[in-house]
Amino acid sequence: MRSRFTKSLAVLAACALVVGALAGCAPKTSTTDGGNTTSNTPVKGGTMSFYIGDPAAIDPYNAQESEGVQVVHQLFTSLTGFDPMDASKLVPAAAASWSANADATVWTFKLDPNDKFSDGTPVKASDFVYAWNRIANPQTLNTATKKVDPSQISYHLGAVEGYADVQAGKATEMSGLKAVDDLTFQVTLSEPFGDFEYVVAHPALAPVEKALVEGGVDVNGTKVAFGDMPVGNGPFKMAEPWKHGQYIKVVANASYYGAKPMIDGVNFMTFKDPDTAYLEFQSGNLDFAQISLGKIKDAQTKYGTSSDGFTANPTSQVLLGAENSTYYLVVNNKDGAMKNLALRKAVSLGVNRQAICDTLFEGTRAPADNIIPPGIAGYAPGVWAFSKYDPAAAAAALTEAGFPGGKGAPTISLTYNADGGHQKIMELVQSDLTKLGLKVKLAPLTDFPTYLKALGAGKYQIGRLGWIADYPIMDNFLYAIFNSKSTDNYSKYANTAVDEAIVEARKVTDTAARIKAYQAVDTMIGQDLPIIPLMFYKHHHVTSARVHDFVFSSMYLADFTKVWLSK
Amino acid sequence: MGRYILRRFAQFIPVFFGVTLLLFFITTVLPGDPVALKAGEKQLPPAVYAALRHSYGLDKPWYIQYVNYLGALSPVHYTPKAGLQFTGPDLGESISTGRPVTQMFSETYPYTAELAFTAIGLEIIFGIGIGIIAAVKQYTIWDTLATLGSSILVALPVFWLGLMLQYLFGILMKEWTGGSFYLPISGSGGPGSPFDPWVYLVLPGITLASVSTAYAARIMRSQLLEVAGQDYVRTARAKGLRERSVLWGHEMKNALIPVVTFIGLDLGAMLSGAILTETVFNWPGVGLMIYQAIGRRDYPVVVGGVTLVLVVVLVVNLLVDISYAFLDPRIRLGANAEG
Repeated sequence: MRSRFTKSLAVLAACALVVGALAGCAPKTSTTDGGNTTSNTPVKGGTMSFYIGDPAAIDPYNAQESEGVQVVHQLFTSLTGFDPMDASKLVPAAAASWSANADATVWTFKLDPNDKFSDGTPVKASDFVYAWNRIANPQTLNTATKKVDPSQISYHLGAVEGYADVQAGKATEMSGLKAVDDLTFQVTLSEPFGDFEYVVAHPALAPVEKALVEGGVDVNGTKVAFGDMPVGNGPFKMAEPWKHGQYIKVVANASYYGAKPMIDGVNFMTFKDPDTAYLEFQSGNLDFAQISLGKIKDAQTKYGTSSDGFTANPTSQVLLGAENSTYYLVVNNKDGAMKNLALRKAVSLGVNRQAICDTLFEGTRAPADNIIPPGIAGYAPGVWAFSKYDPAAAAAALTEAGFPGGKGAPTISLTYNADGGHQKIMELVQSDLTKLGLKVKLAPLTDFPTYLKALGAGKYQIGRLGWIADYPIMDNFLYAIFNSKSTDNYSKYANTAVDEAIVEARKVTDTAARIKAYQAVDTMIGQDLPIIPLMFYKHHHVTSARVHDFVFSSMYLADFTKVWLSK
Repeated sequence: MGRYILRRFAQFIPVFFGVTLLLFFITTVLPGDPVALKAGEKQLPPAVYAALRHSYGLDKPWYIQYVNYLGALSPVHYTPKAGLQFTGPDLGESISTGRPVTQMFSETYPYTAELAFTAIGLEIIFGIGIGIIAAVKQYTIWDTLATLGSSILVALPVFWLGLMLQYLFGILMKEWTGGSFYLPISGSGGPGSPFDPWVYLVLPGITLASVSTAYAARIMRSQLLEVAGQDYVRTARAKGLRERSVLWGHEMKNALIPVVTFIGLDLGAMLSGAILTETVFNWPGVGLMIYQAIGRRDYPVVVGGVTLVLVVVLVVNLLVDISYAFLDPRIRLGANAEG
């Protein structure tokens, strides 16, 4: 009897312990489920919890990948800005106005006199001179280690006069940069570039304060490296130093010269795996996440879809707008078999892009009919006549190539990095081409580093690449991917007429005329088909029900300036 | 014992040099250029590429890099100008982030240790506890449940278990209780976190401990059953000792030795980082960091991380060996015992 009593007591004690432990697990407050108001009247306050991948850097000098650029875009303001709803339109930013000379070689930017850094220091033209030289100089030091760690995105400034000298170590400052006075920044280019006003909108080209970059930022009496606590002139400022691998907390910048955000701040929550982030979103702990593949339709049913694909509001929370980026098959134009244009045509016409988009990506990618995505001014559908699915035309092209029904055709290798989720795409491509009668083998390489090396060495026939626009201009695609001197021209396509036409297009200062000139270049390249466009990327993101008026642009930049959160 | 410990520490030296040398050699064999990778699919300008390679010492032969690495790691430095200087070990800088590797590990290692000790705690409590119950109640429903449960746990993939726990405790539980009770499903807290920091350890801790707990329970059960038939146990019972005294005073000490070995080795493995658990739960530990560094060919992080993990594993193994002496008086460590 006594023994049973003791056991009962032990069980009770264990239950009490479990209940006590569970009580500790009950949330004190909820992060995002504030309860939805039915009112559509904007209210101030609240902090948005925003998913990002782990950024490589949030210091503008090395803002290179989408995650770092996202944060830099909130902390800094460049000379011009992209309109969030139509990235092809530029809006004044740190520069209130700007102009170019007749041949687009000298650009003068008049800074907004109210523009200040978040520490209250006015932004001066010399801050741009310093920031840009810092990007161009291959001997630039890391702000934390004080060792040489140059910017990997100095190519943004490749057109500025003196850039080559700085890169070659002959100078430490670009001769083309001049602070005429505190509010006048003049840039001289080494060659005409009519789209330069778009280049300067890139978040990486924002001003920085020399004293803070070199001396560190004071945080409660301790100096913190600028790279961990950047001080900028954007709508938000760092609330605390970057907590690497965990979060970046930013709050509204009271010194911001433009319209102040309605929200108090944004917590950029870092996730290594986007699927985990989506689970957190479903759990109500994130206001913004990327929807896991396989769950897009479910999310649309549950959260509603944004009508324009870029603006999120309660009940229209799923964003599926087109991004300015393209996934394509890179073709080795020096390869014995693939330099045959008719064979490239056959491959391009034989791939069912829609099936890939639907089967593998639930419609979150769209068939590409051009290397230029639809969000870029100048995109013209149908210009790349062979970038479509037409099995009959593909068979005809194969005959034209000298391989009727695939007879006599060499085996084609599809090379890709096995670590990037490309296998299934390549399998579908293989399947389509096999139907044409071609012999196709998959040639995966273990990982991206190995793959990239093989591409650079020209040891492939057909590979895969993606191109994400730095700026919403045709030049960013056509020059980088197809100019014979471009380091990003992995297909080794070389067409003197195309090279010259791009140079000529760059000289045109009238925007409409310039776009027309680039369209002619695009058409020429489309006919040569040096690469095979496959898909345009699209957003597949979602916001919580408390988020209003959030815009996620085609440039993959979040606009928090109008966002408000239900209480 | 003192001499034994000293000798074990002395053995660390060749192991340390051997492993680091091997790692440096492997970096020369592996394809892929870490500097080229920094720019992703875009290529670096030649000057930037050259400056980065020089800055990270990659423009030198691997054996020179190795000597430089050891030099930086040494706590004692001598220059004619400054004389002898004592500094902390310098593991270099991460090629992909430009951050000091020592700082990266000092930020992440506490999280790995926290998770490892939580999982080991669960493993000790539940693994040993369930093993004892299964052995004492042999061939009862409790034994069957324990054996079946441990078989299921061993078979479950860790990432799947993690995802299921996340879904159950993070999403379904929240829906069922209207938000009054649920568990955080990832991370370690942060701004605006609705939970106390320890709550973030619950699900990853259970996930990480799952397979090992099952193994520990099985080992504990089989060891207890094995020693139960030994003469000294029979003698103890013949002396009229109570079952509880026989179990705790006689059986457990011997039965625990293999369990302690297993748990000790497991602790070493967990302190090396748990890649799957850290990925599923977005836990900011070293395992995931080293794994990502391998993909990026970020050699300073890989070599530094493996070196650090190596030291931890060696020390933990030593502690496990020492613990034998306390568990079993017959085991003597050192020259006298061996002689």
